[in-house]
Amino acid sequence: MSLFSDLYNTISKFFHSQEEPENASKSVATNRLKLVLMQDRTNLTPRILEQMRSELIELLSRYVELDKELLDLNFEQEGDQVALMLSIPVIRAKDEEEIDAAIKEHEEMLAAALNKKAAEEESNAEEEISDEAEDSAEEIKEEDKEADSEEADRTEEEKAEAEKADAIAKELNEVPKIIKKKEKKEVSAPEDISSNGNNPFKSDSSDVESVI
Amino acid sequence: MTGRVIVITSGKGGVGKTTTSANIGTALAKSGYKVVLIDTDLGLRNLDLLLGLENRIVYTIVDVIEERCKLRQALVKDKKNPNLQLLAAAQTRDKTAVNAEQLKEICDTLKEENDFVLVDCPAGIEQGFQNAVAGASEAIVVTTPEMSAIRDADRIIGLLATKEEITSVKLLLNRVRPNLIKSNEMMSVDDVVGILEIPLVGIIPEDAGIITSTNKGEPIVNDENALAGKAYRNVAERILGEEVPFLDLDEPKGFMAKIKNAIAKLKVKV
Repeated sequence: MSLFSDLYNTISKFFHSQEEPENASKSVATNRLKLVLMQDRTNLTPRILEQMRSELIELLSRYVELDKELLDLNFEQEGDQVALMLSIPVIRAKDEEEIDAAIKEHEEMLAAALNKKAAEEESNAEEEISDEAEDSAEEIKEEDKEADSEEADRTEEEKAEAEKADAIAKELNEVPKIIKKKEKKEVSAPEDISSNGNNPFKSDSSDVESVI
Repeated sequence: MTGRVIVITSGKGGVGKTTTSANIGTALAKSGYKVVLIDTDLGLRNLDLLLGLENRIVYTIVDVIEERCKLRQALVKDKKNPNLQLLAAAQTRDKTAVNAEQLKEICDTLKEENDFVLVDCPAGIEQGFQNAVAGASEAIVVTTPEMSAIRDADRIIGLLATKEEITSVKLLLNRVRPNLIKSNEMMSVDDVVGILEIPLVGIIPEDAGIITSTNKGEPIVNDENALAGKAYRNVAERILGEEVPFLDLDEPKGFMAKIKNAIAKLKVKV
């Protein structure tokens, strides 16, 4: 009996030598296609998606400790509704003090960003922007052209700080534009978030009308 | 009588729109229905070739629109089946010679006297596409299991969704190669349907017989033995509302596959 099954296994291994390799060109194609269709259907470019991803991580990190590497962001279509599926493994739930501290820090940063913006507007009103710092930090240039002129003579530390503030200022300006058409947003995290019931996405951003 | 106007479209070129039009049209006509095929690919007409009617065309759709002939005069009857007629595209003109309203009018007139009006759409999403879909109330989107064809099909499905007159959009998956699917080198039917999310009306296997049938100007549905012909006949039956199971393309054909199958059976016995 065992001789037969050994023989069978050997033979069947020979015939099935190429069975379901993980990186078969079919799965590569399917995944590439899904990504490109998501962009086609929603008009979200890779840059905007990356921005959305990092903002989501930042937001959720205030409440729970996440495994950022394994974050999975997907669009799924059900009928004529597009759903945003977000799956993030939760490493640890934060306690209330940590959360409060994180929220406070965020609020301070928002306030700083607002102040910075106001100050910038003032200084911009005084002198026209020249393109003296064109080659510094392309990304930032793309995101916030007005900040360019000051960029060059900052120290590294200041720069990092400003980048963060810029991102927040941008959040204030651009978030509504990103959400085009009607998009039902959902968060499905495996552990804490979903069981929390009251997730922040479901309540406020479903059926957001186009702002552009 | 009010017939059904079905547009056959794809976005990408070369995926088999014209072959599909010719075969579905022929199959429906063989079942006794009156069918008109309209070639709207102005300047790049080919439906006449696939039907073997290239030498019989006197007037084209542009002649009808520019009133050089009556619509009835421009319809070319099929050699074998008088139920099937072709309204050919003009080969010397471009897409701008026709507009959507004129095409809709032609479809509306033809559906009065026919059971089916099948509109063979040109590739692309510009004027030619807009013209072709203008008179239709149903659409069949043809794609192959390749990324570029699927992406274009997705675009077309999105555009069709904006057309209020079109109430049904179905998918025809062409040039499927079961052995490549088995070795995970090609997206499976489920993969494609999962991505495009519209109901399937047909799965057509890759078939070398298509080449010879095109060479002869005789649609493959006329070949009783060809697998692709059988698959297209099934599509026609599904269009007529019958529930026909999809062909089992996994049936092993080669010698090795037979041995493999025999061993699998042996295993069950053991």
